[in-house]
Amino acid sequence: MAKNDAVYKCLNPKGTQEPVEQSALAPRLKSLDGKTIHLSICGEPDITIPLEKRLKGDYPDVNWTVKKTYNIVPIPLTEEERKTTDGVILGVCW
Amino acid sequence: MLIDLVEETTKVRHDAIIYGVPEMRVVEASRTAPGPEDVDNILDDIIKGLTKPLTAKEKKTGEWTPEEPRVLFEGTLPDAETFYRQTENIPGILNATFSEYTDGLPIVIPTEERVKEMLTGTSHSPDEVITLQRDMNVPGGLFAGFSRKKGEVIRFMPMSRTATVEQVAVNAVMAGCRPEYFPVALAIAESGGGTGDGRGGGGSFVVSGPIYKEIGMNVSYGRGICCPANVTLGRLGRLLWRNLGGYKETVSTIMTYGGNGSPLLHAEYAEGLPPGWRGLNEELGFKKTESILTSGGGGGGMGGGGGQSWMPGVYRALQKSGHGAIARFLNVKGILGPHNFLDYLLDGMWATREGGVTLTMIPSMAMDLWNVGFKTKDSVYEYIHKKSFEPLSRYRMRGVPDLTTNGWMGIEKTSGKHWKELPDDYPIAVCPDPWSNCIILAHGEETVLDRGGGGHGQAYSIDAWR
Repeated sequence: MAKNDAVYKCLNPKGTQEPVEQSALAPRLKSLDGKTIHLSICGEPDITIPLEKRLKGDYPDVNWTVKKTYNIVPIPLTEEERKTTDGVILGVCW
Repeated sequence: MLIDLVEETTKVRHDAIIYGVPEMRVVEASRTAPGPEDVDNILDDIIKGLTKPLTAKEKKTGEWTPEEPRVLFEGTLPDAETFYRQTENIPGILNATFSEYTDGLPIVIPTEERVKEMLTGTSHSPDEVITLQRDMNVPGGLFAGFSRKKGEVIRFMPMSRTATVEQVAVNAVMAGCRPEYFPVALAIAESGGGTGDGRGGGGSFVVSGPIYKEIGMNVSYGRGICCPANVTLGRLGRLLWRNLGGYKETVSTIMTYGGNGSPLLHAEYAEGLPPGWRGLNEELGFKKTESILTSGGGGGGMGGGGGQSWMPGVYRALQKSGHGAIARFLNVKGILGPHNFLDYLLDGMWATREGGVTLTMIPSMAMDLWNVGFKTKDSVYEYIHKKSFEPLSRYRMRGVPDLTTNGWMGIEKTSGKHWKELPDDYPIAVCPDPWSNCIILAHGEETVLDRGGGGHGQAYSIDAWR
């Protein structure tokens, strides 16, 4: 058999993608009134400055909480804050 | 509810699967619309995202179990070449072709036999998962520092995949490496293959220690073009980024950044160091007899050149006879050297950049510095640091400190005060500390030097992978 006709097993260069548990989304809110909604901002302030103003102005009955960082990783909520927070808006790093 | 920028959504959807929230609700902001107008456009969708009842799909749970076969292709070598050459057209890059398994160049086909031969270059088992081989403290650069522990499984970004020794061997074969290079290849893999957070892969690697001679690396100032060890190992980072990390432009990463990948690996010529100057291995806590790989330093990272440049003859004129541009600048006309050329080099070094300075230097220039009083590398690093001070009023005009000072809301470390409390004339070091500087010695005679950023980077033992 000519060399070009020889059959070879050729291996896969790709890495291993480990299995991941897929979660359902958290139940949605019927209304925002009286709820605690967290605005998590990371990266340079861009849309987030006017967004924070509009949310607080248009939805005054929401208890808005905000954490900001210029870092690319959002500041996490504490365990206690997670218990009392009804929803999160995450503005990712721009 | 997550807000991203329009062109990032494919990547965000990709990440949402990897991190277990496949149906995450996303609202797309614009990269260019004025902020208030942009908010007008997306505010309703944000509120709906919080209040609209979940669909059946959004309530679904389960396990995502992607599987890749070990044997990817079976057939003749010509057919395998066609197979590994396949590309796809990616809309996010205007349907340009993108290689499915390679960095775009032809590869050596990774037959089972060739991979087995590559594995003879290490004592590690083929099915061993790549992990960190020692504890490590990662100093803060743009962001806070952190610690890593020996045994930590290495994640290849952007897909956060893991890899075995055999999977690295497959890529090493494809890059054209030889079995004797394999411990270096595994150290490159331990470093994450230079994939970082997934946006800029390929890495900037430097070898320090005796292995450079064993595998025939070229330690010259020219960085070793046409040297198989330098070129094939340098190429490996790009393949690891593509194959282990799953890099796919605009699909698994945003397109804001895109490292082109280091095409070469270079090595330190420690034998040419002046007395008392330590090699990179010793500087980073290893013995002179140990071989290491540094990643993330060595001229990579943010901030390229800067400072004054010269033709080799201008430098010779300075040191041999006290003539030429550098002599005029230093006001030593007619006075024979050695002279401290750092003052000339550093003039304007930080005009357009911040951070430390990595110098790739030849032995005679290092010896000139030694002769004018720099008896250690550390003394050079300290000198550069001290030359980098400028008033806060100027420092505030720089772009990167917006990020590193957390929007000027943090504490300035030398004063212990808030940035906003400091007077305009408060001196700030643009090169933040001496250690952010680095000298890499290269063999050569032409009296020029390269300057870049990156510092020392992180050190990985090559010997641990023998």
